[in-house]
Amino acid sequence: MDAAPSISIQGLTRRFGELLAVDNVDLRVAPGQFFGFLGPNGAGKSTTIKMLTGLLAPSAGRIEILGLDLQKNPVEVKRQIGVVPEGMALFGRLTGSEFLNFAGRMYGLDRETAAQRTAELLDFMQLADQPKKLITDYSHGMQKKLAMAAAVIHGPKVLFLDEPFEGVDAIAAGTLKAMLQGMIARGATIFLTSHVLEIVERLCSHVAIIHQGRLVAQGSLEELRAGVEAQTPAGSGDGGAPASGEKMTLEQIFLRTVGGSRHSDQELSWLG
Amino acid sequence: MSERSYAIHPRTQLAAIAELRWRLFVNALRTTRGKLELLSQIVIGIAFAIGGFGGAVGMGFAAALMISAGKPELLALLFWFVFVFWQVFPIMATAFANNPDASDLLRFPLSYRSYFLVRLAYGSIDPATALGCLWSFGILVGAGFAKPALLPWTLLVLLAFVAFNLLFMQMIFAWMERWLAQRRTREILGILFVLLMLSFQMIGPLAQHFGKRSRPDVKRYIEILAPVQGILPPGLAADAIAQAMYPRAMTSFSSFALLCGFGLIVGYYLHLRLWAQYRGENLSEVAAASVLPKDRALRLGWILPGFSIPVAAVFEKEIRYLLRSGPMLLNLIMPLFVLLIFRFGAMNSLRHSAGFMARSSDMAFPAAAAYTLLMLTNLVCNSFGGDAGGIQFFFASPVSFREIVLAKNLSHAGILMLEATLAWAAVSVLYGRPALDVTVATLAGLLFAAPLNFSVGNLLSIFSPKKLDYSSFRHQKPSQTSVLISLGVQLFVVGVGVAVFWIARIYRNFWIATVVLLILSAISLTAYRMILNRVDALALERQETLVAELCRA
Repeated sequence: MDAAPSISIQGLTRRFGELLAVDNVDLRVAPGQFFGFLGPNGAGKSTTIKMLTGLLAPSAGRIEILGLDLQKNPVEVKRQIGVVPEGMALFGRLTGSEFLNFAGRMYGLDRETAAQRTAELLDFMQLADQPKKLITDYSHGMQKKLAMAAAVIHGPKVLFLDEPFEGVDAIAAGTLKAMLQGMIARGATIFLTSHVLEIVERLCSHVAIIHQGRLVAQGSLEELRAGVEAQTPAGSGDGGAPASGEKMTLEQIFLRTVGGSRHSDQELSWLG
Repeated sequence: MSERSYAIHPRTQLAAIAELRWRLFVNALRTTRGKLELLSQIVIGIAFAIGGFGGAVGMGFAAALMISAGKPELLALLFWFVFVFWQVFPIMATAFANNPDASDLLRFPLSYRSYFLVRLAYGSIDPATALGCLWSFGILVGAGFAKPALLPWTLLVLLAFVAFNLLFMQMIFAWMERWLAQRRTREILGILFVLLMLSFQMIGPLAQHFGKRSRPDVKRYIEILAPVQGILPPGLAADAIAQAMYPRAMTSFSSFALLCGFGLIVGYYLHLRLWAQYRGENLSEVAAASVLPKDRALRLGWILPGFSIPVAAVFEKEIRYLLRSGPMLLNLIMPLFVLLIFRFGAMNSLRHSAGFMARSSDMAFPAAAAYTLLMLTNLVCNSFGGDAGGIQFFFASPVSFREIVLAKNLSHAGILMLEATLAWAAVSVLYGRPALDVTVATLAGLLFAAPLNFSVGNLLSIFSPKKLDYSSFRHQKPSQTSVLISLGVQLFVVGVGVAVFWIARIYRNFWIATVVLLILSAISLTAYRMILNRVDALALERQETLVAELCRA
């Protein structure tokens, strides 16, 4: 990885009172990488993505996006990134078209370009057929597509997505995946969190796993697989390990890494 | 696997719900903002308590006097007053109401009876109910003091009256919820409601206006209305007590029975609504039919000469939000209606001599302009409230908060200008065209007051944000801290304005007011500029609170 990283994090830490939500995380994402950021619930994924996009101030550490220090150049960094945060950040009482037009101009596009891209994005996302509908009346999946459209309207070089496929149907997910893969092909960097490990496995070339605020694994899928297999005797019978000769899935890697399999022994005997 | 099943005890569930409410209250106190809110609520609560106890004593004395004077039928006046306040205040003053949504509890195995009780209990946590109960208690004590033998019967009648009011208020809210669940009906209902409220306000002035010409007609109307009120719940409650005094037991009992009958009917309609909710009715918006837009021409965003594209974008967004908010629009047209009410002499009735506006019509435009500014308070002091989750977009975008806040203030200033122009036109029609010196002095006053309001409003918007739903009347509750502080600022601004205009009137020269207000406006504009330049740092400092408060479900 010789090229200057698109995203570089050093010693990133975030405390909420006594709780250490993100603990001294170091991470590098190379340009053009489709990067999956995984972790169990409450591991610190959303907190990290919020810090990377300027939505939350870190307690300590340094964030560089495209070689720019986020704390020193927040506006310049924000101009070059796109983000779909946890709550989607939509303005419910605008129509989809008005919101995209608004978003485009907030990211510095001139009126004509903003209007042109708004029309293209609405068509691409199949949201153009209800021009008068307010966002508040959109379904969850439609809102997700619109949030994604707003995040890319200015052609960002780095895109941060927090659970982009949550609540999205298979057709819409296909549309979004095609768009994201197109962006990667044109050299953009994508950093996403998702609980749908099959999608991450299919899309992402590199993955990092965070657990209890600490980064416990990072690298390409092959590197992670090799690392986990080296620690697991083949056919050990562990729920997180594959049968002999089979490739480990991302889910198995994930379970092995965060130790999820040990909970499967527990049983709630009172459950029907 | 256990075969054990658990019996569901409504009492356990109700206790759990009570504990939930208590925990929500206690947990809200963890933050400084929560503690400030509690403090503000205590201050407002004290004001209500004074009104409540004062009103109860007044009601008691009035009831005792009426009964002692042998005119118990006049008790109807007291019962009507309590009834109207109890039913109208919660709707008009949603800022003080606390109506958590009990329908969230339907996911639990709650029996219908428990759900009904919970809804009733939730709805009773309301200042109007507290005051209504206190005033009813006052009537009871007063009546009991004047006629001790009637105390048990009066107590029974008042219990029925209180129960009726409780059920009626809940029924109104339940049916309003049904309407407010859909955006379009919600906005239509909102407009109809405010027009109704305004028409109520117009009754007094109009009656007085026409009453001057034909008092016998008014008297005749009162004679017609008297028996009509007698067959409605407040009149029935009064009649049940009055007839017992004479004593006409049968008539008294039939009035009481009718009052109970009304309670049952209202309870039945409340039951219909709650039963539908309990069975899981879906009131979500109906999906609009898909239409392919015929007009595929690009729609360009607005431009704001002299300002950047992002400022124009936020300005456009603000105006679009306002144009889609029925409650906000109606709030903004209130000054014109108030001018009308003043013109018809609403305030004249409160004074022995001719009303203030009639005597000082040159002050009509300054007064209307001040009221216009007052109507903007909710918008200015919680300018991110309507953005809700959109606040994250502002933080994620490469636009400074200075520009965002400036755009919001520009939209507020634009509305203020528009309103002031409309008020000027209305004053011209109703009172005669305001003199040039008064007009200029008023504009100078606005130039002083608006930046001051915007400065304080920007700080309150950042330090005390509250998520608002612009489409609904029920979710317009601003932060209590903001309510108190903005009230203080308004008092200061109005005080300064009144003092300056008063001095100018003494010297019969309004250009004095213009000069003084322009000097003051230079100070307020400087303060505004200083605060605006600090907004980025303040927003960053308060980022987490803003996002947490505005993005919560």
